[in-house]
Order: sequence, then structure tokens, then C-alpha cells
Amino acid sequence: MGDATAAALHAAEERLHAAARDGLACSPVRELIGETDQDAAYAVQSLGIARRLAEGRRIVGRKIGLTSPAVQAQFGVFTPDYGVLLDDMVFADREPIDLGRFLQPRVEAEVAFVLGRDLDSPTTHVAEVLAATEFVLPAIEVVDSRIAGWDIRITDTIADNASSGAIVLGTAPRRIEGLDLAELGMRLDHEGEPVSTGSGAACLGSPVIAVAWLAREVARHGRPLRAGEIVLSGALGPMVAASAGVFHARLDGLGEVRADFTTTALEGAAA
Amino acid sequence: MTAAAAFAAALDRAQRTASPIARLDAGEVIGLGTAYAAQHALVARRVARGERVTGVKLGFTSRAKAAQMGVDDVIIGTLTDAMRIEDGGAFDPRAAIHPRVEPEVAYLLGVDLVDASDDELDPATAIAAVAPALEVIDSRYRDFRFSLDDVVADNASAAAYAIGPWSSPTAAGPLDNRAVRLELGGRLAQAGSTAAILGDPVRALAAARRLAREHGFALRAGTVLLAGAATAAVPLPADGLVEATIAGLGRVSFRVERGATADGSPDGGPDKQEDAS
Repeated sequence: MGDATAAALHAAEERLHAAARDGLACSPVRELIGETDQDAAYAVQSLGIARRLAEGRRIVGRKIGLTSPAVQAQFGVFTPDYGVLLDDMVFADREPIDLGRFLQPRVEAEVAFVLGRDLDSPTTHVAEVLAATEFVLPAIEVVDSRIAGWDIRITDTIADNASSGAIVLGTAPRRIEGLDLAELGMRLDHEGEPVSTGSGAACLGSPVIAVAWLAREVARHGRPLRAGEIVLSGALGPMVAASAGVFHARLDGLGEVRADFTTTALEGAAA
Repeated sequence: MTAAAAFAAALDRAQRTASPIARLDAGEVIGLGTAYAAQHALVARRVARGERVTGVKLGFTSRAKAAQMGVDDVIIGTLTDAMRIEDGGAFDPRAAIHPRVEPEVAYLLGVDLVDASDDELDPATAIAAVAPALEVIDSRYRDFRFSLDDVVADNASAAAYAIGPWSSPTAAGPLDNRAVRLELGGRLAQAGSTAAILGDPVRALAAARRLAREHGFALRAGTVLLAGAATAAVPLPADGLVEATIAGLGRVSFRVERGATADGSPDGGPDKQEDAS
């Protein structure tokens, strides 16, 4: 680990926690842990997850971020990053989602893998990922940043649990046999018009390549992927700002899923 | 010489000499009518030199692209046989100023689209065939910067195009969300979906008919309609293979090669001396 002290790591976690708790975005934690020390940033992320687990939450999976070369270039990194999915982040197709639970939400369409067995080797390869995948689902990820104005560098987003917010899962599982995930067309529509388009190849060449990367990375850090975990494999196209209404993702050959954003709590507060 | 004819002469010269010019619209607004008149005059000059009109192309069919360019409507341009690159053929980059390439969907028109009734606009009759395509775009304006009127006069930045194997529309099936890859030298350069083309490329039929009626284009049966780009355009590399693949539809490619002619036969390249106009 670099120069960030234990006190700095705890201060960073406290800042992010307070932002989420109070619904007030905070200033970047790179002020506390630096702009480049990814190990320190993952340590902050782990502190945050430990706090949530102590509050009674449960780990249900992981998410992979920064899977597009264009986004990696924007962050000055050459690898993806990852975060942890907790039980209270998971929604199903068409289930209303209160926008008030987010600070500055954005959405992107992805492939979700659900594992049928552990992937615990730091040398996991794509064939093992394919063999271990119980089924795949179309998914919408809601990303969110606790950092004001999304003013983030790589350490800010990693510390902030890879800017995770929520996930919306389709409800029709597909076996991976016969699917070429690199060749899935993706369209994310809002009010009937595509607001983001892309394909499986946009995610590191194929979503399965991203999952293999994640499996190696987390196994190396002693937190291997376990049977039953959901893995959100990374965006298939550009992220777009979330707003009230239905965002409808269609993954050609895989299925569809809708995120229904509501503002009831906000209206209630105003009334 | 009318303003439109003068614009056409300047753009024609810029294209033939592969030398960029200043924007037409920099000082005063040209207006869309004059811009399309300039494009028609530009194409008339090419036809007078022996080129044959082979179809049309649409531009700004992606909402993201339109927003990026600050425009709010689709535009139409003219394709000629001199722009045609055979599938698997070669393109000489010296023929262009700052060429970019993008993957597209091409339709072969089954009816005269301008005169088509709404019923005849039914894809089952209006489309004779569909294919993956690559379009090379090249603005004749310096730094690829222009207004909507500028780019309309400049023939919607049309430069060259290649079309892959044609399929029947029934065999191809719906094209509203097919994965699209653009590869340069075998490496992925862009990944997208055909949904980026007007939400569904088949909507290009109605858009082309509307624009053709408004601005005086012929859309004859047997000509090509390039429906629009499925991904952002990328700079054309100095050499090597350019390939587009549309899932379930097929692939199309050409090589970038100095000294090639559009049909792939060896030649000395474009004649940059010839242009007395």
C-alpha cells in the first residue's frame, strides 16, 4: 500500500458514508488517499462494505466497472475496477425504484452472470467462467456517485464501491450455451427512443472476458467469487442520466429488462 | 454564377484536389434551400464528368451524433459510382482530406421511393435487399467543422462506400437491435447496435422519402439507400483492413492502400493537378 495512513482510509470511508446517509454529495476522497493508490482505495471500499455488513446487509455479488477502453482512457487506467453488490441494491424487472434513494443516478445496460459454482483461482480463464455460469440475465445497472458532480478519479470511484447504486435484473434466465455474448446488440430506450446503444463487444471484447478478469482479481485479493453470486459484467454502451419513467433495455437474443424510476418520495416530501 | 453554383465549384475543387476549404456559412447563413441547390449543382458537375448516381445516404441519423454536431434533423446526400469501393477492394486515402469510416446498413430500393404511397413504403415491397455497408465520410471543410447548411452543400460529407453481400429483407429479419462491429486491422475500433440508426434503420425509408420530396432527390428502384451509421465514425487508418460486421446480416471490408483506385485496380491515384475550374 502507498502513503495513505489508516486514519486517512477511515476518514475517506466516513466521508462517503455520511454522504450516502445524509443524501448530500461530498468532495473527492482523493484529497485524503491520493489519486493513484488503488490498493488504498479498495481498502476504503472494504471498510464501507464492512460497515454495511455490520448493519445487517448481505453480499449478493460483484460489479465490474471501467470495461470500455474509452472510459479507461478517460480515467488514465488500463484495467477495469470492481465493487460489491449488497442485497438492498437488487431490483427486478418493472419494480418501481424511488429516485430519491440516489444522489446523481445514471443507467447502463449490462449482462448479469449468476454463478453455479465457485471461481476461486487467481488464474481463472474464460472457459472456466463459461462452465461455472448457471445462467445469464439482461440487467440495468444504476450507477451513482457520492462525490459531488461526479468529479471522480480512479481512487474516488473505487473507494465509493465502484460508484454502485442499484441493479435491475431481468426475470427470464438464459443458459449461456448457444449465446455469443460479444454479438449481443444492446439498446436502452427511454420513452420509446434509444438513449444508449452498443453491443457485447464493447465490454472488454466480450462480457465473459470481463468476468474472467474479475474472478482472477478478487481471488488474488482473497475474496473469490462464490456459487450463487451475481456478477454485473460491465456496460455495453454509454451511461446516461437516469430520470423518472421507464428505461427499457433490450439485449438482442438475451431478453429485456425495465427500470421504472419513480419520484413518489420526493412528491411526498414536497406535499 | 449563382451562390449555389459558386459553392458547388469550390466544394468540387476541394474534393478533387483533396484540399480543405473554409466554411461557406462562416459569414452569413446560406439557408437549407441554397445548401441543397449547391449539392445538386455539385453532383451535376460530377455527372457531367461521366459519373452516374447510384443512390443516396442519410446523415445525422443518430441522436448522439446530431447532438454532437448541434443539428436537429436528418440530412440527405448523393452517392455516385465513382464513390463505390468493391467489397474486398481498396481505397486510396490520398483521395480524401481527413477521411473517417463508419459501419452502416444499406438498402436496395424495390420501388421509386419519392412516388411511393404509404402502403408502398412497407418494407416488404420498398426494400429489395439489405446489406452491411461501410461509408467513408470526408468533410471538405477545414478541421471537419461545419454548420448544417455547410454539410448539406458538401454532399453530406459523402466520400466513398462499400456494400457487403445483399440479403432478402425476410431472410435478414428485423434490424432494430443487431450488434455491429467496426474493426481496423482486425482490432475492434467501435462496437454498437443498429438501433443507433433512427432507432431502427428501416425508418430511413420514410426519412429519405420526406427529404427527397422536400429537396428534389430521385430515389429510383434499384438504387442504394445508406441508412446511417451504427457507431461513431473513426479516423480512417493510413493503411490496412477495414471491416464491418452486423450480427446475422454479414460483413463487408476494404483495404486502405495508397495507389489504389476505388475498384481495387492498380492506378497512380487521384490526379491532383487536374482542375481548371
